[in-house]
Parts: sequence; structure tokens; C-alpha cells
Amino acid sequence: MRTKALLKGDIGFQFKYGFYFLYLVFSVLYIGILFALPFEWREKAALLMVLTDPAAMGLYFMGAIILLEKSEKVLNSIAISPVKSREYVLSKLLSISIISTAVGLAIGIAGGVVSNLLYFSIGVFLASCLFSAVGLIIAANVSTLNAFIIATIPASLLINVPAIAYLFGFKKNWLILHPGVSMIELCSSGQNAIFAFLVLVFWTVLLAALSSRVVGKMLQAVGGVKL
Amino acid sequence: MRQDMKPSMKPLLRSFGMFIRQISKDSMLIVVCIAPILAAFFFHFGIPIIEGLLCEFFRKTTVLTPYNLLFDLFLSILTPYMFCFASAMLMLTEYDEGMTSYLAVTPIGKKGYILSRLLTPAVISFFASSLLLLYFALTTWAFMMIIMVCLLTSLTSIAVALLVFSISHNRVEGMAMAKLSGLMMLGLPVPFFLLSNVQYIFAFLPSFWIAKLGMEQNVLYFIPALLTSLTWLWILYRKFERKLT
Repeated sequence: MRTKALLKGDIGFQFKYGFYFLYLVFSVLYIGILFALPFEWREKAALLMVLTDPAAMGLYFMGAIILLEKSEKVLNSIAISPVKSREYVLSKLLSISIISTAVGLAIGIAGGVVSNLLYFSIGVFLASCLFSAVGLIIAANVSTLNAFIIATIPASLLINVPAIAYLFGFKKNWLILHPGVSMIELCSSGQNAIFAFLVLVFWTVLLAALSSRVVGKMLQAVGGVKL
Repeated sequence: MRQDMKPSMKPLLRSFGMFIRQISKDSMLIVVCIAPILAAFFFHFGIPIIEGLLCEFFRKTTVLTPYNLLFDLFLSILTPYMFCFASAMLMLTEYDEGMTSYLAVTPIGKKGYILSRLLTPAVISFFASSLLLLYFALTTWAFMMIIMVCLLTSLTSIAVALLVFSISHNRVEGMAMAKLSGLMMLGLPVPFFLLSNVQYIFAFLPSFWIAKLGMEQNVLYFIPALLTSLTWLWILYRKFERKLT
């Protein structure tokens, strides 16, 4: 129930902040670019776009969201409310992954890359949760936007570079153990899609649990309790 | 009021010092300084290598070479864009924390705030991007053309930062605007890929005219480029003033 209320609030704010409008504009732009590309490039380009933008939007926006909540003292209110850190994290991850999955699907369908709707949706959804969890972990430990942006660069490279290498032909099976690569394998319904799904679930749950712990500490700190 | 019309130098320098201290504390300063140099090295030495590999792979004589000028144009905008982006992020933080209103009523004033946060970084990056273009360009540039293009890219970058700051109400909206403002750069590749008159749909973007100026090497294109930049700046500065009222 609490998670539902948090989720409703987060979605409302994200709508107000213009996320839905922004991604409507970018979806049109990305789809336009896809159609301007030669047909044989579209599949790879669509997957690359989904991985680096809608799926990664949590990593881009989480810093600003958390820092704004800190400065507006929203976190102080949450800290003294019965809301648990895992509910707070769940709401943040789910609210962002709704936009990511919708935009990812729009780009994927336009790019003709969606051969299995379920696999593709789950792949984008989990990857989005994973990126958002990483964003949350970083955001909880910084105090300015510039510091957040700098801190996301290595995280972004670590997740994206192996995935891009895999997408463009460096197809080693062991690479599927990497979260970004498992997303690519799952979204493109590759031979190891089921294994990729399990790997992606593992990484997402692990990072979500870690972010919940970090957020718990952050809420304790703003709530005035430092044990 | 008089001080807001004409801010004196000392508060401006102090305010600029605050900006530099803040972004150096975040490590953003080092990134803003190093990233354009790395990009310049990559464009200058990496692109020809990639071109060789692509030509071999696609069995063509040229793949990227027709777009060398586009790489140069990106290089010319990278330094001011990064510097002004870092400044916009700091301005968003300062606004959310209520610092901007305080600074605006000190001898710095609204104009001084913009001068120290955007104009000074843009002036510094104008010199930096001119040097980068002079030494790392992939195509041949006349000295005057470098000056004109770097002046325009610096003005455009100020407009982008003002767009991010003036339109948004808080830093989350600011980040959304920052993403959207990337579209201001869309004008750079347009004349390279849209060869018909349809390209003039993008005539409201300064970046479109900057690309035309670079492509045609015709000084006349400097006029619409400057006019569109100044129009954007004028509109956005008014928005900025209203935001701080």
C-alpha cells in the first residue's frame, strides 16, 4: 500500500518534471534516426539507443531527483514516516522503469528488433532498474549535480562498453555474466536468453538490495540518527 | 540597482572564483579541461585510423572523410559546451539551495551572476577551442574562420546553459532541459545530411548557421549565425531575469 502511494507520487512528479514529454520527443527523434539509417544497421542501432538512453535514464536523472529531495527536505519527512528504504527504492526503480520500458518498446518495435516481446520488455525493465539502482547508490553519496555526473561516468562505461562490444561482434559466451551484455542478449532473444535473464535478475536484485542499504543509511542520516 | 546595471570587477572575480572552486571540488574542472583535449587527440589521430579500417571493411575510398569538417565543428563547440554545462549544473544547485537570489542582491547582481557563471567560462573556452581547432583540425581552416566559428559556438553554449537554467524550476527539470537542449546542436549535422532546402527548417538554430558558415566558408553566413545566437540569448536572458525576480 505504501509502495503504491510512493509510486503514485513519483510518477506524478516525473510527469510534472517533464520526463514523459522529454521521452516522447526523444522517442520520435530516435525512431526518425532509425528510419534514416540503412535497413541492415537498424537492429544494432535500436539496441544501442535503448541501452544507452531509455534503459539508462535512471542513471542520468537519479542524482537530480535525490539531490532535489534532499534540498526540499522530502527525505527528512520520509525518514520519520513508516516508509521503509526498500519501499522507497522500489518506487523509484519502478516509476522510472515504466518510462524506460515504454520508450524502449517504441524504439525496439520501430527498429524491428523485437522478436520476442516478453524477453525484450523484461530486458529493458530489468536494465532500467539496474541503472536506477546504481544511480541511487551514487546519488546518496554526493552533494552536487556535477559530482554526480562525474561519478556516473565510470559506472556508465563499466556497464555500456562490454555491452556495446558484444553487440558489435565480440560475442564471447562468458560475457553474458556481465549485466549490460545480458540485457543485450535478452532483448535480442539470443540463444542464451534464459541464462541472460537469470544473470540480469541476479545483478538487478543485488544492486537494488545494495541501494536499499545505502538509502537506509542516508535516511538515517537525514533523520538525525547516526548510529 | 546601479550596481546591477554595471557590476564592478572585484565581486565578479570573487563570484567566478567561487564557481572555479566549486567545480574543482567536484572534479568537474579537471574533466572539463581534459575531455576536450582527449577528444581533440581522438579526432585528429583516431578518426584517420578508423577511416582506414572502415574503408577496408566497406571496400570504399572514403567513409568518414566527407564529414571531417563536422568533426571539427563538434570540436569547436565541445569546450564551451562542457564549460557552460558544468556552470548550468552549478547554477541549478545554487538556485535550489536559494543561493542565486542572495547573490543577485549582493554587488554581483543578476548581470554579474551571468557574467561570472557563463560569460567568463565562455570567453576562456573561446580561446581554448580556438587553440584546439588551430592545432587539431582535420580540415584546413583560415584563422579568421576559426575566430568566427569559436565565437559563435561560445555564444551558442551560453544560450544552451541559459536554456537549461531559465526554463526549469528545479534541478530535475534542469536535467530534463539539459537533455532536451542537446537538440540545439542538431543544426550542426543538418547541412551535411539534408541537402535539399528542407534543411532551412532548422534555420532557427544557431548551430545550423555555424555549420553552413564552416561548409560554405562564406562570411555572410556569420550574420544569421550571430543574429540567431543573440536572439536566443536575448529571449533566454529575459526569462532568466524573470526567474530571479
